[in-house]
Amino acid sequence: MRIKLWSAAFGGILALSNLAPAQDAPPTNIDLSTFPAAAVQEVVVPVPSEIFNVLDKLGTPNWHAEFRPTLGRNTGSRPQVALLLGTVIADGFIAVEAQDVPRVEDVGRQVLKLSQAINVEAAVKERCNAIVDQAKKGNWPAVRKELDGALSKVREAMTELNDEDLAQLVSLGGWLRGTEVLTSIVIKDYRADAAELLYQPELLNYFIRRIDQMPSRLRKEDLVSQIRKTLDRIRPLIGKQDGSNIPLKNVERIHQMTQESVNEITAEQN
Amino acid sequence: MRKLLAFLFLLTGAALSHATVNDSLSFAYEGAAPYVKQGFAFREDAWGGDLGEKDQQAVSAQLFKGNEYWFITGTDSRTATVTVHVYDSAGKLVEQKYWQKGRFSGSYVVPPKTGSYWAIVTVEKSPKERTGWALVYGFK
Repeated sequence: MRIKLWSAAFGGILALSNLAPAQDAPPTNIDLSTFPAAAVQEVVVPVPSEIFNVLDKLGTPNWHAEFRPTLGRNTGSRPQVALLLGTVIADGFIAVEAQDVPRVEDVGRQVLKLSQAINVEAAVKERCNAIVDQAKKGNWPAVRKELDGALSKVREAMTELNDEDLAQLVSLGGWLRGTEVLTSIVIKDYRADAAELLYQPELLNYFIRRIDQMPSRLRKEDLVSQIRKTLDRIRPLIGKQDGSNIPLKNVERIHQMTQESVNEITAEQN
Repeated sequence: MRKLLAFLFLLTGAALSHATVNDSLSFAYEGAAPYVKQGFAFREDAWGGDLGEKDQQAVSAQLFKGNEYWFITGTDSRTATVTVHVYDSAGKLVEQKYWQKGRFSGSYVVPPKTGSYWAIVTVEKSPKERTGWALVYGFK
């Protein structure tokens, strides 16, 4: 269980006294521009299930075609392992969509192996076992829930180890692999409502901010700095406002960039 | 000695705060239980803290068109009223349903567009100086 805590005791309160207090009928409009800047810094990173849930409703993509030949290898660099772990968990969701038990087992094993490399194995072992058990039973909604839970557990354990930056890289790795797959699916059957799923400006800004706040030794790691540049290049391609139409050519460019990043993370070409 | 006292104060304050939020979180999940039965998957991440009366807290979330969402708050204070309402990035109220009862409140959103939304939590009234609150959300 992870809770984002705002408390006066921690000096992190973000009380917004400038907003009209909600009564029985809340105000129908509020002025978000008057929020204190600090209030916008904590963005809720969506769990992959939220996106896959929408994709389920949009059609039945060929999920097996989205598998990659390898789940990648550990190069010994902790940032790379954290990013790779995020991509592997995202692959777990693809395996769930494809209802492919052997692939889910591969993902479960790889998650454990990578978690061990960054000292969070104990936190996710139970989840990984549950992922495989539920997949064998064909209980796919439960596998999805366990995968969401594994991601939370990994991040929570890393935060407890004062590895908050690495925890962010896990999320970022998952986002990059998830976006690579999402764009691949959208490209194969382009629809504006499916492309709209890519409109995630606050999330991109959040990841960019988090990288910028990392210690310089981490920020300057080749892989991290490359990804930082990629995020900058993706930002103008995802539309300017809620509901923006994201054209096919932009989806294709985002796909190419995220694919390159995932390949770098996977380290097969390094 | 003064440093030690300050440290102990911080520790005590932190512990109280955590206890308050943990209790509030339990209530938030209790408030969410009926929606779990309706097929909503509630995230394991949660948000919370403590606020004074009439104070508000904004939580920014990326929501996806095509999903339905329930945002649920809980509070550790039996007589406090804590609410949650959801706005889009232009500051327009977007919730389709809203309720508040006892320790719980809920806001139901079917996002008209994919984008950034704001859940605004308010301590409307409370007998306490600081009121613990927790927010969870689920989707289907």
